[in-house]
Amino acid sequence: MTVAEATEKIQGTVVAGAASAAMREVRGGYASDLLSDTMGNSRDGDLWVTMQKHVNIVAVAHLKGLAGIVVVNGRQPEEATVARAEEEQIPIISTGLPAFDVVGILYSQGVRGRRQA
Amino acid sequence: MFVIDPHMHTCLSPCAVLDMHPAGLVDAAIQAGLDAIAVCDHNSAENVAAVERAGRTAGMAVIAGMEITSEEEAHILALLPSVEAALELQSKIYRSLPGRNDERSFGPQVIANEHAEVLGFDEHLLSGATTLSVDRVVAAIHDVQGLAVASHVDRERFGIIGQLGMIPQGLALDALEISFRTNFPDGRAAFAPKGEFPIVCSSDAHEPKEVGKAVTFLLLAEPTLDELRRAFADKDGRAILGGGRPMEDLALHILDLAQNSIEAGATAIEIDLLEYPSEDRLIVEVRDNGRGMDPRNLARATDPFYTTRTTRKVGMGLSLLSEAARAAGGKVEIDSKPGFGSCVRAIFQYHHIDRAPVGDMETTLMVLLVSHPDLDIRFKHCVESEAFELNAHVLRAAGANPAAPDGLAALRKAIRKGEASLGRPGVSPRLHS
Repeated sequence: MTVAEATEKIQGTVVAGAASAAMREVRGGYASDLLSDTMGNSRDGDLWVTMQKHVNIVAVAHLKGLAGIVVVNGRQPEEATVARAEEEQIPIISTGLPAFDVVGILYSQGVRGRRQA
Repeated sequence: MFVIDPHMHTCLSPCAVLDMHPAGLVDAAIQAGLDAIAVCDHNSAENVAAVERAGRTAGMAVIAGMEITSEEEAHILALLPSVEAALELQSKIYRSLPGRNDERSFGPQVIANEHAEVLGFDEHLLSGATTLSVDRVVAAIHDVQGLAVASHVDRERFGIIGQLGMIPQGLALDALEISFRTNFPDGRAAFAPKGEFPIVCSSDAHEPKEVGKAVTFLLLAEPTLDELRRAFADKDGRAILGGGRPMEDLALHILDLAQNSIEAGATAIEIDLLEYPSEDRLIVEVRDNGRGMDPRNLARATDPFYTTRTTRKVGMGLSLLSEAARAAGGKVEIDSKPGFGSCVRAIFQYHHIDRAPVGDMETTLMVLLVSHPDLDIRFKHCVESEAFELNAHVLRAAGANPAAPDGLAALRKAIRKGEASLGRPGVSPRLHS
């Protein structure tokens, strides 16, 4: 499943990095609002579900090679965040759904937090 | 030189105890031997004026402040020029702070006066987050001419690095605060290895016995915000000399012993800090040419209730050191005669689980050398066969003299180089949960 396909499932809108959203494959998922935790524990290709919308989320996604970022609860990322994500081509999806529902939907589509080595 | 604890809460913060009413907090600060405090409740400044009044009565300098929770749940300290500035900032914060407090869940938010009387209860959700991003919090602090300090950056939860993974690029922070959890030199190495930010150390006290648990030593003309600003910028001869945990770090025990010597009229002090991990031994020795003690005072020297000091209510130093040594399988020996100076030797089992950390000798040496420009200080720090020796006279003659231009920087550089030569391993950032 690509990031763009996942966006549809979770009733989201791509607010940045549309071109790479169409191409990037979601290989797993991670959910956390502590960015230090995401830096420590997420993996390459994860779609990251969070309520944070500060520009640092782009830096973390870039650093960890994440597939994209889902910002939940209808929160709109700050301008600086969107601009930086466009620059780095990191997809950001905004959705009105809460994190619980987003994770539930992605899980039902086969996205897992744990991947086999 | 001023000993400042720049972050503590009053009973207004729902997580703090009622004993942290304005007068109680000021009393705790005096007991801890502090020269100044900053009062920083969560998202409110309702008790700042009362603490300032209590401080004025008791002779404790009080800096107005607030600890603001950003939208990302990072805590940012605001150190402010006046009560008026604090109230102006408070009205802005209140407009961006949704929710009402539920006492049963989060605790009461007590507004009190300087006579330990309850005036009322604040109803804002002070334990909640504002709707302001860190950038806007910092801007709001600067709008009222305050200093913005990232709180306890060594903590995962509510610390800016924990919440946001790293310090956001371009965020105009004036300093970083580390908590008592982190050894001062480790904090510097982990969070500002190239001196990117000044570092302060504080107790973040929520109850009286925590006040002064961690402190910052500052070279200032007076404990005001303007002076703090200059010290943070390391200019006009103002500076942060260091920080640490007075009850815990051996380096600050050594500072206390040296200050005892100075109060006993010493003009020359020799300090040895000998670390021999291979022999499971750590020895601290401070020798002076001061007045010395007669046998009666000598016997009482490690009694926690005995002190010859009249300036402060502290002076429990020797008894605390004695306790620290005993806890680490060691002891304190004192050799002193009236007219012949004193020698205090503390011996520890190096690898004992309860052995106090060495702490930051740079802080100790900077404070001593800067506060006592004529004192003859010789210091020797050994780690196994490596040794760093410092002679205050030689250093001063070489230009590392606080009175000379750039003398402070030269002094700091010389000490840091010497301490670094002892070959301690580097420290990577560590966040405490």
